[in-house]
Amino acid sequence: MLKTTRRKVLKGAAALATTAALPKGAYAQGEPIKIGILTPLTGAGGNDGPRMLKAMTAVFEEVNKQGGVLGRKIETVVEDDQTNPEAAVRAARKLIEVNKVPMILGTWASAVTAAVAPVCWESKTFLMTVSGADSITLLPHQGFLIRTQPTSKLQATAHGEFLWAQGGRKVAIIGIQAPFAMANKEHLEATLKPKGGEIVSHIIYEKDKPTYRSEIDQMMRGKPDYIYTNGYAPDTVVLLRDMFRAGINLPKFAQSYAVPQPTLDTIPAEVSANVFTGQPSADIESPAYKLAAARIGEKEPDGYVSQATDWASLAVLTIAKAKAVSGVAMKDNVRKICQGSGQKVYSAVEGLKVLAEGKEINYEGASGPCDFTDIGDILGCRFRYMHVVKGKLEFLKLV
Amino acid sequence: MEHYLVAMGVTAGIYAMMALGMNVIWGMAGLINLGLVGFFAIGAYTSGLLTLKLGWPIPLGILAGMAAASVSGVLVAMITVRLRGDYLAIVTLGFAETMRVVMSNELWIANGTDGLSGIPGPFRQALGPHLFNLQFLGIVVAVTVILFFLVERLVHSPFGRVLRGIRDDEQIVAVAGKNVVMFKVKAFAFGTAALGLAGALYGHFTSFIAPDLFAPLLTLYVKLSLLAGGLGNSIGAVVGAVLVVFFLESTRFIIPWVPGISAVQGAALRELLIAIALLVVLRFYARGLVPERIAQPQLPSTPAQASLVIGKST
Repeated sequence: MLKTTRRKVLKGAAALATTAALPKGAYAQGEPIKIGILTPLTGAGGNDGPRMLKAMTAVFEEVNKQGGVLGRKIETVVEDDQTNPEAAVRAARKLIEVNKVPMILGTWASAVTAAVAPVCWESKTFLMTVSGADSITLLPHQGFLIRTQPTSKLQATAHGEFLWAQGGRKVAIIGIQAPFAMANKEHLEATLKPKGGEIVSHIIYEKDKPTYRSEIDQMMRGKPDYIYTNGYAPDTVVLLRDMFRAGINLPKFAQSYAVPQPTLDTIPAEVSANVFTGQPSADIESPAYKLAAARIGEKEPDGYVSQATDWASLAVLTIAKAKAVSGVAMKDNVRKICQGSGQKVYSAVEGLKVLAEGKEINYEGASGPCDFTDIGDILGCRFRYMHVVKGKLEFLKLV
Repeated sequence: MEHYLVAMGVTAGIYAMMALGMNVIWGMAGLINLGLVGFFAIGAYTSGLLTLKLGWPIPLGILAGMAAASVSGVLVAMITVRLRGDYLAIVTLGFAETMRVVMSNELWIANGTDGLSGIPGPFRQALGPHLFNLQFLGIVVAVTVILFFLVERLVHSPFGRVLRGIRDDEQIVAVAGKNVVMFKVKAFAFGTAALGLAGALYGHFTSFIAPDLFAPLLTLYVKLSLLAGGLGNSIGAVVGAVLVVFFLESTRFIIPWVPGISAVQGAALRELLIAIALLVVLRFYARGLVPERIAQPQLPSTPAQASLVIGKST
């Protein structure tokens, strides 16, 4: 019979107090480094989160096989942000307060990042994200945030140049309602107008709709010769299907994450004909992209997968450079390994070797050169354009 | 760990406030309101905007948030006055989605999908994150306790009796000479004020709100709280809210121990566990873990006693 007596409670309390009082050093020297991963595994981002998670895990496994960093293995703690800011904040608090992670990698939706960011900077935890909204890096994050996704300005300007080169003169924009929607339109217009092009229609649609036929009809009223889609994978698929049904055979541009190969495999080749995709990319001779592709066994990893690869590599290299594991060490040292005049390295393992020789390094990533401004935006990058041919993504050009 | 528990305590408290508010509308008056998160959003946005843009003091902002939610509650109640059951549920769900879409597209005031960041919290800078959370837990617990007693007072008042009457049979209440519409509107006014209060406090706690926050997921969690705790019962509402947050969070710690599944499968399993828990509760505790207690009138067992009872009461 289990009886709770005062003595038992006192004994239990004393035992608990003793455990809590044990010094941190009582743990083994080789205690693994815990890194928090907070990607969407369910909800609207459920398409991209798992692929990003796979890319990061692949890098950490590679590093662990080579003996880890600072003599310690890397252990990931994965939480699902449910593509919902409220759920994401609860998950972030768990990672920070319970697992004591020095950094969180992986928030995807801009609203989720904006909600999680204050929790991170208040507790001095470093955050890396793909959220593209310009407003994210303008938050008072005190340096505890970087993003590998180019700002709307960088992206839309590059896309505008591409559309012009492709012969797009009368461009129609059809995109999801998101923080980047208006900014993209403005920068696209600013690029095309001086050349003599124009934006003939601009339609913003609501996510999760089963059909976008009325939006498409509205868009076609402007008689465009090029269609610029600006959504995520679930809605872009619906959009492409509806455009095919409506018999629209115009060239269409989409972000690479909106039309990844796994999604293309689920739709007929006729539907995805004449689709072009763009993504931020490293130099063509940069082996980082090829290494990332080989690591996860994908022929053409999209922008998100490349960026996730870079976060994991940046995390490992910064820890090695700082010789410390904390959010503050991340913030103070991340720019010391990814920019400057050090030796160029293209993977975490390679960088660790060069660092061990006592040399400076400059990590060149799979998604771009990974050079950051003071507020955490990338300075610039190249753009890799692909063409969908018979349902398969094929390399077109690098600008 | 303790800081995490404090933050989850605040979340549970806010869920409990919403559950208490919902309980008046749904549990007592029997009006299925799936627009909960819309009123929560109105409270959060009103208080957030007033304190952020116009520099109002936080308590005043919260009161304004409650008032705004309550006024919109009255409007929704008047519009939907002829609707009952599933029809009311659909319309209120539509109301919440409309609120979300409006906030997403409104750039001038609500800042569109970027949302509002930097909403002030009481003494946020001075206290630091941990003390701030602890202080907020104190505030939330105090407010929940006050709200609890207010709702309890309502339950045992003649007003509460009429609401339960409307829930069980609207026509009889009307025949008894009660203005059913007025009672429904009042129930909405009170319940949505509580929802607005929860929203305002949530905004000041997390410092950030955006339209994506107000997705139907939150409505379902609070509905789950009420179903698990016991519909129509204040203790049940609070117990249910705490249980739901406890369950949502504790599953995080269980999943890593399940062998042979990936993180993605783990996330799906977590949602499955929540669904199973709801099914179990509904199957074995159809009226919730703490069922509503309805005072049963003592029925006389023999005619002689009956005449005695009648004699006494006249």
